[in-house]
Amino acid sequence: MIKQLISILSITLTMVFTTPVWAEDLTDVETIINQATLAAYYRGEDGRSEARMLIEDAQGRKQQRQFTILRRDHEDGGDQQFLVAFSRPADVRDTVFLVEKHAKTDDDRWLYLPGLDLVKRISAGDKRTSFVGSNYFYEDVSGRNPDEDNHQLIETTEEHYLVENTPKDANSVEFGRYQVWIEKISMLPVKIEYYDSSDKLYRRVEVLATEDVQGIPTVTKSRVSDLISGASTTMEFRFIRYDLGMESSVFTERSLRNPPRQWLKRPQPL
Amino acid sequence: MLQSTLMNLSMNRPKWVFIGVLLLTALAGFQIPSIQVDTDPENMLPHDNPARVFHDEVKQRFGLHDMIVVGVVNNSEQGVFNRESLSELKQLSDSIVHMEGVVSQDMMSLDRVDNISQEGPGTIRFEWMMKQVPQDQAGIDLIRESVERLPLLNNTLVSGDGEAAGIYIPITKKSESYRISGEIQAEIEKLSGNNQYYISGLPVAEDTFGVEMFIQMAISAPLAGLMIFILMWVFFRSFLLITAPMLVAMGSVIITMGLLIGQGYTVHIMSSMIPIFLMPIAVVDSVHILSEFADRYRPGDDPKKALSEVLTHLFTPMLFTSVTSAVGFASLAFTPIPPVQIFGLHVAFGIMLAFLLTIILVPAYIVSLSSKRMAQLQNHSIEEDDSSFLGRLLIFTGRFSIARAKTLLVVFTLIVVGSAYGVAQIQINDNPVRWFKPDHPLRVADRVMNHHFPGTYNAFLVLDKTGDLKNGLDQQLVFRASQAGVALQQTLTSVENESFTEYTNALINEFDQLSYDDTANEDLWLELLDLTEKAQVDSKYFLTPQAITYLDELQSYLDSSEYIGKSNGLPTLLKTVYRELQGGEAEYYRLPPSATAAAQTVLSFQGSHRPDDLWHMVTPDYRSTTLWLQLSSGDNQDMSQVLTLVDEYVKAHPLPEGVELNWAGLTYINVVWQDEMVNGMLNSLMGAFVMVLVMMMLLFRSVKIGLLSMLPLTVTILFIYGLIGLVGKDYDMPIAVLSALTLGLSVDFAIHFLERTRAIYRECGDWEQTVAEVYKGPSRAISRNAVVIAIGFTPLLFAPLVPYITVGFFLATIMAVSAAVTVMLLPAVMQLISNKDALFGVKPGLKEMHHD
Repeated sequence: MIKQLISILSITLTMVFTTPVWAEDLTDVETIINQATLAAYYRGEDGRSEARMLIEDAQGRKQQRQFTILRRDHEDGGDQQFLVAFSRPADVRDTVFLVEKHAKTDDDRWLYLPGLDLVKRISAGDKRTSFVGSNYFYEDVSGRNPDEDNHQLIETTEEHYLVENTPKDANSVEFGRYQVWIEKISMLPVKIEYYDSSDKLYRRVEVLATEDVQGIPTVTKSRVSDLISGASTTMEFRFIRYDLGMESSVFTERSLRNPPRQWLKRPQPL
Repeated sequence: MLQSTLMNLSMNRPKWVFIGVLLLTALAGFQIPSIQVDTDPENMLPHDNPARVFHDEVKQRFGLHDMIVVGVVNNSEQGVFNRESLSELKQLSDSIVHMEGVVSQDMMSLDRVDNISQEGPGTIRFEWMMKQVPQDQAGIDLIRESVERLPLLNNTLVSGDGEAAGIYIPITKKSESYRISGEIQAEIEKLSGNNQYYISGLPVAEDTFGVEMFIQMAISAPLAGLMIFILMWVFFRSFLLITAPMLVAMGSVIITMGLLIGQGYTVHIMSSMIPIFLMPIAVVDSVHILSEFADRYRPGDDPKKALSEVLTHLFTPMLFTSVTSAVGFASLAFTPIPPVQIFGLHVAFGIMLAFLLTIILVPAYIVSLSSKRMAQLQNHSIEEDDSSFLGRLLIFTGRFSIARAKTLLVVFTLIVVGSAYGVAQIQINDNPVRWFKPDHPLRVADRVMNHHFPGTYNAFLVLDKTGDLKNGLDQQLVFRASQAGVALQQTLTSVENESFTEYTNALINEFDQLSYDDTANEDLWLELLDLTEKAQVDSKYFLTPQAITYLDELQSYLDSSEYIGKSNGLPTLLKTVYRELQGGEAEYYRLPPSATAAAQTVLSFQGSHRPDDLWHMVTPDYRSTTLWLQLSSGDNQDMSQVLTLVDEYVKAHPLPEGVELNWAGLTYINVVWQDEMVNGMLNSLMGAFVMVLVMMMLLFRSVKIGLLSMLPLTVTILFIYGLIGLVGKDYDMPIAVLSALTLGLSVDFAIHFLERTRAIYRECGDWEQTVAEVYKGPSRAISRNAVVIAIGFTPLLFAPLVPYITVGFFLATIMAVSAAVTVMLLPAVMQLISNKDALFGVKPGLKEMHHD
């Protein structure tokens, strides 16, 4: 009896102390956004994960894509390198995207198509195009530069910061505004809702699962829904590792034709 | 038996009859407000028609919608490529995209599509073609160049001459197109007017037709009623006399329409003509009763006695003419076109109802009249003077027919031969857009758009790769696993899925996971993974060079045909993206060399703003693909030519193994129902002919007279269709429907004519005298009825829609011709039959069938 009481008490205490109820709420929206950007896109110095994408169209037909993402940060909140290597479906295996993301200027993007033995530079142009036919945009994968929007903290709840974002250049994007729910505890953006120019909600990005990986809160499952057509894409991340010590040279054009197997292969369980 | 029951009822319980008919009419009348108009030509086919099922399924599979096409035309030197024109286009497109019922993500317009272009050496660029209208002419010219580089857009979004741009607006429901096109029109009126705008597309045509159909029903039907009223006034000059037939006509129309609507049937273009068909037919019998009653009744007599004499005398001929007419219409049930069947059966019902109402309502009406009014009736005898124009003409005709019998027969034979030749010339063709008059805005839009663009009519050529994929893979997997001592069946069953892609995806995930978890069998799982992946890649048939080369060659063959304005398909997309990946030079406008190259070309395309456009051309499993053909003509004839072209090509270049070719698209569906109708109509016609012939033989109890009675209508039908063939009028839906019902209507004349001729001959026994008699009374009655019916249909001539005009014109013509043929041909033929006693069955002691 006493044992039980103690265990209940300890559980309660654990809950009380692990929930940052006493943490000061952030009030500066720039700080919130910057922290959220870091939490979402700059975890660790580098990282790898295997993504499995399930694209479901309005009729319920499903297609699958599988790829490994390698990432290396030059500095937190600054320039980054990405390498996305496809493994499935088999007919696009070894197709590779290489991205040099620049915080201040346009990104550099390359594409390698093994079936055509062709390396192609992709013009920076618009980053709000589909990522390999899914409902994700390139920008959803690599992160939208916070400087492109004006932010306004519109609500702070028990668990979330709700931030309203309006584009500085309305002509560069397809949305009129979007709202982000940032989870206070992890500072991860967990829900984003996009409104079109006539202020109709048409697109939703949501986090479906997060996990603690090497002490870092990490999104392991998310979904983008096209609320107009009814299509959606779910992405699951597995075999996630941070701070692998990848060199900058992993992310060069050379890697397009010769993918860095060392980092692409699955890591041993921790 | 039935006859006397009805007569007793109507004469002894007139109030019951009135109340009963009134109640029935009211009950039916209450159904009418729930009317639902259906103008969808697709409904010409039953819902379960294979072509229609396939068409619907193709629309679903490829995410295709019915489309409204807005044409933006500027005839100035730069065409639409100037800032003002493009700004208006963008403004319009921006407002359309937010309209309810528009499939916004699939809308196609210059400002909503992607440009794939070269940005310096080795760099490919996906960007909106016209996110903003460029400020300078150089930017605008660049858009023009870009569009011209992209075969999927060129001549679809902007015409080759640069004078017209198109906004393609897919809509969720065809029945919304009238509303949406109205909203578009309202937006167009807000623009500053730098361009001309045209709204076209089959859905608009169909929906607009429905609205105009309502107008026509609200105007033409009452007008037809008024027309008949006036006509009868001219003949009888007595409202008292006319009231009864008008009541019968209104009762028949309201009850029939109420029945149709009450049963939940939609009112289709054919059914909307029911009132106009019924009214003239319904009044004819009442006129017979009234005029004979007026002849026989003398003031002071018991009206019931005169009435029952008249009814006894007229019952059988009226029943037979009603039944033959009803049979003619009911025979339309043999045509496998639901709206035509519903039309035919309901008009048949209406005719029999009109007969019943005539038998019970008219006597009830007469016995309810006060004796003063009854006396007035008598003053309005319909008997005309022999010296009237019609009278003299008929007497002359009679003499002429007898005197020149041989000549007449030769002339008629020649007409029949000529008609048969004409029938052979008949062009079977229809086009729902032509249901509008040439000056209708829709027809104008149709002309303008098809002048600038390769075509606004769509047909879809669908190729499906068939064959079982799953069993082969399962066997392979189970066999390989059993070699390693692993039972696999349960794993396979657990991920069972109808879609092979999804099934293999699940298997791949499963094997992938197992290779990781079950290290002992890692090699096996990786091998099974390979096998499954290979099977999945192989299943994507329409990425293989063999398949896309066949498609590509078929496409170039089609593009070279004058019937096809343009074709769009997977090869077009692959070649375009492949070219841009290879640096953009024209020489690289070709198919990717391998299936993986094709898959990766597709993957590159999917990095655009509109990756889903791909799924309008191929299904995600790459086992079905469709070529979108843009035709500049919606004529069924032209579509049939396209079908023949493809058939010939497939004969010369057999489809790859396991590939099936089928058609979808509204333009194709129109051809299908037309074919069904032409064949079905022939069945209807033959069916009606045989039935009416048998009835005639029974009625006259004579094979010879039975055959004779079919002669005028046979000649009439041949003549009318021969004429249609000779003047080159297309044999379309309304024309087709006419054949069977002509038969039912025009046999009436022969019945009356032969019945009276035989009766007179049996009385006097002299042919000369018979002819003279016949050309006084009966011929006049026939002519008058022909005029009533013919003129009753003339309001259709003022209808805003072409099919109504056609029906009106031809029915009037048919009535006139068949009446003329009856009074000229029948006596001439009988003149040449030497044994008239045998013909008319004159034997001592034989009881006559009818008296007059």
